[in-house]
Amino acid sequence: MKLSAIRPVSRVLARELAVTALLLLGVSVVVFAVLHFAPGDPLNVLLEGQSPRSQLALGAREALGVPHTWYGRYAAWFGKVLHGDFGSSIRTGLPVLPELARVGLNTLTLTLGSLVLTLLVAVPIAVHAAVNGDTAGNTAATVAAYIVSAVPVFWFGYIVVYVFIHKFGMFPLLSGTAAKQPHAWLYFLVPIFVLGTASGTLAELIRHLREELSRVLAEDYIRTARAKGAPVWRHAFKEGFLIPVTEIMSAKIPFLLGGAVIVEQVFNWPGMGRMAWQAAQDRDFPVIMGIALVAAAFVRLGNLLQRVVFTAVNPRASRE
Amino acid sequence: MRRYVQAPGPIGQFSELPLLQRAETLDLIYVGYGLLIVALVLASYLLGAFGWLPDDPRAINVGLINAAPLTPGHALGTDFLGRDLQARLILGIQAYFLPGLLAIAISVVGGSVLGVLAGYRGGWLDTVITYVNNLLDSFPRLVLILLVIAAFKPDIYAIMVVVGLTGMPETANLIAGKISFLRQKNFIEAAHALGLPARTVILKHILWLNCRALLVIQATLGMAEAILAETSLSYLGFGVQEPTPSWGNMVQAGANYFLQGQFWPSTAPALAILATILGLQLLGDGLNNILEGKRRR
Repeated sequence: MKLSAIRPVSRVLARELAVTALLLLGVSVVVFAVLHFAPGDPLNVLLEGQSPRSQLALGAREALGVPHTWYGRYAAWFGKVLHGDFGSSIRTGLPVLPELARVGLNTLTLTLGSLVLTLLVAVPIAVHAAVNGDTAGNTAATVAAYIVSAVPVFWFGYIVVYVFIHKFGMFPLLSGTAAKQPHAWLYFLVPIFVLGTASGTLAELIRHLREELSRVLAEDYIRTARAKGAPVWRHAFKEGFLIPVTEIMSAKIPFLLGGAVIVEQVFNWPGMGRMAWQAAQDRDFPVIMGIALVAAAFVRLGNLLQRVVFTAVNPRASRE
Repeated sequence: MRRYVQAPGPIGQFSELPLLQRAETLDLIYVGYGLLIVALVLASYLLGAFGWLPDDPRAINVGLINAAPLTPGHALGTDFLGRDLQARLILGIQAYFLPGLLAIAISVVGGSVLGVLAGYRGGWLDTVITYVNNLLDSFPRLVLILLVIAAFKPDIYAIMVVVGLTGMPETANLIAGKISFLRQKNFIEAAHALGLPARTVILKHILWLNCRALLVIQATLGMAEAILAETSLSYLGFGVQEPTPSWGNMVQAGANYFLQGQFWPSTAPALAILATILGLQLLGDGLNNILEGKRRR
């Protein structure tokens, strides 16, 4: 890459990093606000059986060092989060951060794996459709993509589980010990396959990449390239392939994380989604807050990468 | 040949042919199927609301559990307690219909307000609204809903408020994009030059005359997302609880029997979800292709 291309990228990177930091700050405010307005004060438990005079509650707050104002509490909480202290789970009593790191990695495997699968399936179909135009086969593929994207992911999970039990004689439900069993990699691949197929990302990637690539292939500069015998693919790659693919991938990360909640539930996958489900059941505030923060950070990171790729491909965008 | 009308591209190249003639057959099929599904859902909702059901959805019949479709007296079979699936499927629409309408009302109205403020006023307000949109987009919807569930144990309407709020950014972006497109046509300036007040320009010329197709499309796709959210949540055990039927908790209730080979009690509601979401998505995309002349992302 030439230096002239790097400079805009670094400038955009700096700006986008600042924007990302600001957004994550906003995310933390939203998460805190939801908790703040939740009914029920933990101190009421402490003061149970005593007269609920505000004086007493104030005294208890004083003794525990809980700030009086909401912004004081926010600052105290956020300061801890910045130091990596997400508190302890109400249910298990374990600190949230190590747990979150452990399950977050599993969810990352699941979502990234399903993204790779989506790419492997969607790209050939979309490129073939874009190059060959509107044929009956392409129309069928588009309609099929619509149908697949509307399949409820939980039901599709059951079908896959059933097929595995009855055709292959194995039970592809992942538990903490599955890694020690034979065919552990298969246990790993089945949930990835389900999320990658039925999350809707597949259909959107096919549609978007096909539209964009066929638009770019019809552009004048591609016609020129074709006329002078230059490789068309090299000229169309950046605008017609790289940008649409990264756009969809970054836009779909929230949906994949949401889909992961369900897939992890179906397959007993020890990830963030299952943890979020459990935490919502138990009203385990520290855990669900940590998950919301980490999930939002995933989303922003994906967005940041997309902006960087976009600017690297299209340096003019950095001057906007 | 598909018509691509990009925001910064040449303007006013819509064909003069009547709408039905320039629409592609495939798009018309999409819209036709979508309208059929909407009519079916609407009719079934009304049947459920008035209690005109083919059978009592709560009548347990242990002698006839997991019956196949076309069993006498149960056109769509029965579930694991012998309850009539057809009646439960119809009643399951109650779980998402009104809450879904609330969600799309919020996302369409809120998104329009934000979009107009960002596109029409612009300036610092645009920056603030872009920030809010990106903030709302940062949360995976289901995770945000689980956070709200943990905090408030809310009912389905409150959850749909969250769905509506998280749907606002997309509508806002589309409206703001449409306004900047209209600005290129000097369309808004012309309206101002005629001495029209800002209110008329925004409500009549921008929203009603130029954005109504877009808003209908957004509402359609928003309903699909609301149904997806409701069915996912009731599948996960939040929201509507047994014995009240919802398509999501029906799939969940049939799950154990599914793995034993009794597919139908789980598959019937799953197919209902599939057909409905597919119909709404095809309706939205088909209308978009016909009315707006471009594919959405």
